[in-house]
Amino acid sequence: MEDASRKIREKRLVFYAEDLEKIDKYLLEFLKLSQARCALLIDKEGHMVTRVGDTENLDLDTISALVAGSFAATREMARILGEVEFADLFHQGKNESIQLYLVGERTLLTVIFNKSTTVGMVRLYAAEIAKKLAALFLKAAEQKPRKTDRIGKDFGSSAKSKLDDLFGK
Amino acid sequence: MVQINFARKEVNCKVVFYGPGMSGKTTNLEKVYENAPDQHKGELTSIATEGDRTLFFDFLPLDLGTVAGMNTKFQLYTVPGQVYYNSTRKLVLQGADGVIFVADSQRKKMDENIESLENLMENLTEYNINPDDIPIILQYNKRDLPDVLSVEELNKALNPKGWPTFEAVAVTGEGVFPTLKALSSLVLENLNKEYGVADDAGSPRLEERAPAPEPAKPEPAKPEPAKPAPAKPAPAKPEPAKPAPAKPAPRPAPLTPVKPPPKPLTAGGKAPATGGFKAPKAPLPQKQSSKTLVWVIVLILIMAVVAVVAVLFLGNPK
Repeated sequence: MEDASRKIREKRLVFYAEDLEKIDKYLLEFLKLSQARCALLIDKEGHMVTRVGDTENLDLDTISALVAGSFAATREMARILGEVEFADLFHQGKNESIQLYLVGERTLLTVIFNKSTTVGMVRLYAAEIAKKLAALFLKAAEQKPRKTDRIGKDFGSSAKSKLDDLFGK
Repeated sequence: MVQINFARKEVNCKVVFYGPGMSGKTTNLEKVYENAPDQHKGELTSIATEGDRTLFFDFLPLDLGTVAGMNTKFQLYTVPGQVYYNSTRKLVLQGADGVIFVADSQRKKMDENIESLENLMENLTEYNINPDDIPIILQYNKRDLPDVLSVEELNKALNPKGWPTFEAVAVTGEGVFPTLKALSSLVLENLNKEYGVADDAGSPRLEERAPAPEPAKPEPAKPEPAKPAPAKPAPAKPEPAKPAPAKPAPRPAPLTPVKPPPKPLTAGGKAPATGGFKAPKAPLPQKQSSKTLVWVIVLILIMAVVAVVAVLFLGNPK
């Protein structure tokens, strides 16, 4: 059981404030260069990690889940073709388009953009930023977490009371 | 797998409703959507066929609220139950933190339940997940129908591991919340054990320390044709074993894929913890402009040389 717990822990994604600050800085730099509307970083399970830019009126939870689903489906297509995965996906709309770019092994850079820029600009800078982010992730993975980054002592009891509130006793 | 975001003070967990076709997985999600308070739920999204059978997944974000300073969210997914859709079903299962297996209690559905449960075990194993390592709960659904098996019979066939079980009539909402509450509780309990204040073992950071958790099988996934009923002995069943139906049939309670405008979640969904600014319009940096200028000059020089050579050699052939 100890071994099982370790395995699950190894697969879990944990994000810390200092890392997120750097990620946001890179994403803002990317937005300035590419002129895209917004950029989201999403993990492969469909949970959003962070976002910058104009996300008003966007249902980010649903977009994150659909992006992860879309990426997972195309990865299976890639495997059938003998590829590991398609690292770059593009969905073109009349006004808004989405560009997905794999960052490292576990996260997806999702860029939403409109006619204020071009797919070429977005792709060019997305490839650059993806490399920078991947390097940042590798570096961060080697560092030890601080003891201050822990779930609070009362998490268990608080969770129980919240579950009672939502689902009834 | 659970994502813990200390910067945004968020915990995200993934819960998957699994089970054979037409056992009531989507109905469970619809009832959660109908009965959960507005401030706790997001939009119910469905990727379904025209016949309202789940093609890829249904998705509902549920916000538990702030738990010990962390905004705790559950992402609820259903898988397509039909045998034919195993490749997409497997994708949805990836990264699940807990599974609710929705079984159809009717005697005639027993083979399909067993087949689907075996499929769940196979798919978890392909993701290198030991079924004993993640919370699994069995929901015995459709208890109101005639000719249902007793809970003892269902346990004997489906629950050798002694998972928690719940009886339900999902169409009326009965048993839906208790099942989800029990699973959510187990998922959060696991999380608390690993990331509570006593944990000093060190947690992985942005990327996992082990190689990426890809499915164990390297070969490409293929859509699986309908398999014959499993050879495994099943409980007393008066009807002959038959393959699970692969053709779409209308869902009793039609799902509306397009919902009213999204309801904002209470926290975390919109309010930015970090970032969230609008990008100002800015010209390309100076460094880039000078690089471009150098390239233009080089290009002009090359063109000039080519022109001179052309005049010298082509203009005076003799």
